[in-house]
Amino acid sequence: MALAVTVLSLGAMGLQYRLVEARLMQAQKALLAADLDGFRALYDQRRIIAVRQAIEFRLTASGSDEVLVLLDRQGGVLAGPEKGWPVAVAERGESFGAEPAEVIPESGTRWLAVSWEMPGGFSLLVARSLRPVDDTLAAMRRGMLGLLAAMLVAGGLVGWLAARSVMGRIGRVNDLADRVAEGALDARLPGARSDDEFGLLETHVHGMLDRIENLNRATHRLSDTIAHELRTPLNRMLQKLQRIDGQEEVAEELKAEMRQAIRMFDSLLDISRAEADQGTGGGLVPVDLSAVLAEVWELYDPLAEDRGLVTGATIAPGLQVLGDRNLIAQLVANLMDNAIKYCAAGDRLTLALTPDGDRHLMRVADTGPGLPADMRGEAFERFVRAERDRGVKGHGLGLALVRAIAARHGARLTIPEGAGGFTLEIHWPRLQQSD
Amino acid sequence: MTGMGMEERILIVEDDIETAAAVRAVVEGMGCSVDHCTTLEEGVAAAIATPYKVIVLDRMLPGGDGVEAMARIRAGGSTALILILSALGRAANRVEGLEKGADDYLPKPFEPDELRARVRALLRRGTMQVLDNDLLAFGDLEIRLKARTVHVRRAHVAVSPKEFELLTFFARNAGQIVTRMQLLENVWNLHFDPGTNVVDVHVGRLRRKLEEAGSQAIQTARGEGYVFAPLPGVAG
Repeated sequence: MALAVTVLSLGAMGLQYRLVEARLMQAQKALLAADLDGFRALYDQRRIIAVRQAIEFRLTASGSDEVLVLLDRQGGVLAGPEKGWPVAVAERGESFGAEPAEVIPESGTRWLAVSWEMPGGFSLLVARSLRPVDDTLAAMRRGMLGLLAAMLVAGGLVGWLAARSVMGRIGRVNDLADRVAEGALDARLPGARSDDEFGLLETHVHGMLDRIENLNRATHRLSDTIAHELRTPLNRMLQKLQRIDGQEEVAEELKAEMRQAIRMFDSLLDISRAEADQGTGGGLVPVDLSAVLAEVWELYDPLAEDRGLVTGATIAPGLQVLGDRNLIAQLVANLMDNAIKYCAAGDRLTLALTPDGDRHLMRVADTGPGLPADMRGEAFERFVRAERDRGVKGHGLGLALVRAIAARHGARLTIPEGAGGFTLEIHWPRLQQSD
Repeated sequence: MTGMGMEERILIVEDDIETAAAVRAVVEGMGCSVDHCTTLEEGVAAAIATPYKVIVLDRMLPGGDGVEAMARIRAGGSTALILILSALGRAANRVEGLEKGADDYLPKPFEPDELRARVRALLRRGTMQVLDNDLLAFGDLEIRLKARTVHVRRAHVAVSPKEFELLTFFARNAGQIVTRMQLLENVWNLHFDPGTNVVDVHVGRLRRKLEEAGSQAIQTARGEGYVFAPLPGVAG
C-alpha cells in the first residue's frame, strides 16, 4: 500500500521534473537564438569589426556562463577566449547552424551551443552554459529524493503500525482456531467484541464453535441414549430366554446372535465416538505402545498358531504414544482377528513395531487373500465387505473401527501396494517427552 | 457372626423392573437377602444406612449416574463392594466405571450365569484371607507366587507368564465358575468382547500342560466358562 503510494508520487514527480527540464532548456535555446540574432544584426550593419568588438565587450562584461568565439578564414581566433574553438564542435563545419542547438560537454559543464558560418569564411560560435539549468535540476532531484525517502519511511511506519494491529487481531483468531483444532472445543476469545469487521469475525467464529460444540455433545448424548434404549429391551429378551426349557440349542444360538448384534452396535458407537473425539487430546494418556502390542499379540498368537498360520512379531520395546490403551488394544485385536479369519493354514502373519523419525511405524502383514483391487478405496468404510467374504462371519466394521481409532490418536494409516496379502501400516505420533 | 449359614445382604439399585427381578432371582438363588431401590437417592441412603456386602448399581437412574454416586456411598462409610450393571457397556464406559472405583462392571444385557459368577467373586473377595506365605496348595497342585512356579505331584510344570497369571486367577476363585469375560478383564485387562474364542485357546494350553502332569484341575462349565476344581469333590 505504502509502496503503491510511493510509486505514484514518484511518477508524478518524474513528470514534473521532465516538464521543468524541458521548459528550462527551451528558455536557454530562446536566449541563444536571441544572441545569435543580435550578432547577425551587427554583422549586417558593420561587418566583422562590429561583431569582434561586441564579442570582446561581452566577454569582459559577462561571467563564465557564455562562450563566444570568432574565427578567421584560416581558423585563427579573432575574438574569444585563449582556448579558442571547443574541440567537441570543431568538426561541425557548415552543417552546424543556429538550429538545432547542440548540447556539448566542455570543462566539466554542459553547454548549449550554436555556430554560424558567416560569409567570407568567418565562423562564429555562441554557447551558453547549462550550469544554472543543471543546478536547478540537481536541486530539484535532491528535493525529490529527500521527499521520497521521507515518504517511504512514513509509509513504512504507518503500514507497520497498521499491520501490527491487524496481525495482532488476526493472530488472536488464529490462536483460537489452533486451540480448537487441538481439541479444546470450549475455547473462546476473552474480552468484548470490537465494533468493526474483526469483532464481526470473532462473533461468527464463536457462533460456529458453539454449534460444533453442541453437535459434538449431542453425538455423545445420542450414543449413550442409543446404548441405553436398545440394550434395555435386549436385556429383557435375554432374561426371558433363560426361562425357555427344552430348547437349549436354539436358546444358545439366539444368545450368540444377540451378542453379535451388541458387538456390532458397540463397534458403531465406538466408531462414532472415536470420530467425534478425533483431534481432541482429552482422555489420552501416555501409553506404552510396545507393551500393548505385545500383550494383544500374545493373546492372539496361540489362536493363529492353532489355525496353522506361521507367525512372527518384532516389537521394539518402550515406544510411547499419547493414547487410550483399551482403544489401541481393540485396534490391534481387530487386525489380528481379521488376519486369522481370512488366512488359511500355511499363511504368514507378522506384526512389527519400529521407531520411524517422529513416528512409530506399526506394520501388520499377512499372506492371505488381501483386499480385492476394487475395494482398496472403501475398505475402511462402515459395512463394506467384499462379495467373496459373504461366507465369513463378520459385519464389516472391523477396519472402519481401526481407522477411527487411528484417527483418534492422530495416527496415519496406509496400505502399501505391491506384496500380495494384506498389509497395513499405522504411523503413530511419538509421545513428546515435554508433554 | 458365625460364618456358617451366613446370609449376605445385597442391595440392588435399578429402575427397570424386569432387570431388577432378574438380578434378584440370581442373588436370592445364591442364598443372599436382597433390598431393592429404584432411584439413586434411595439407593445412596440405603447404602449408607445398612452394611451391605455387595451393591448392584445401575448407571442411568432417576436422580443421576450410579458411577458418580459411588464417591458419596464411600464417603458415607459403606464398605460394600460395588458392581455396576449398566447399559453403558462399551469398553470406554467400563474402563471409566472401574477407574472411578467400581469393583466390577457388567454391561447389559447380561446373562444370569455371568452375573452369578461376578457376584460370587465379589462375595468371595470380601471373605478371602490374606495368606502370609506365598504358597497356594490344592492337593498335589502347588503354586508359588513369588517364585512364579507351578508343581504337580512335585514335578515342575513350565508355564508362560500369562499362563501363570491365568492359573493364579483360577486358584483365587477355586471351586467357582469363571467366565471368559472375567478372564479377559482380569488376566488380560481388556474390556471389550473380541468376538472370538481367543481365551479358550490359552485355557486349553494351560489345561493340557496340567493334564500331562496329572492334574485335572481345570474343567469346562458348559456354556458358561471354566471351573478350577483341583480337589475331588469340590467341583460344582
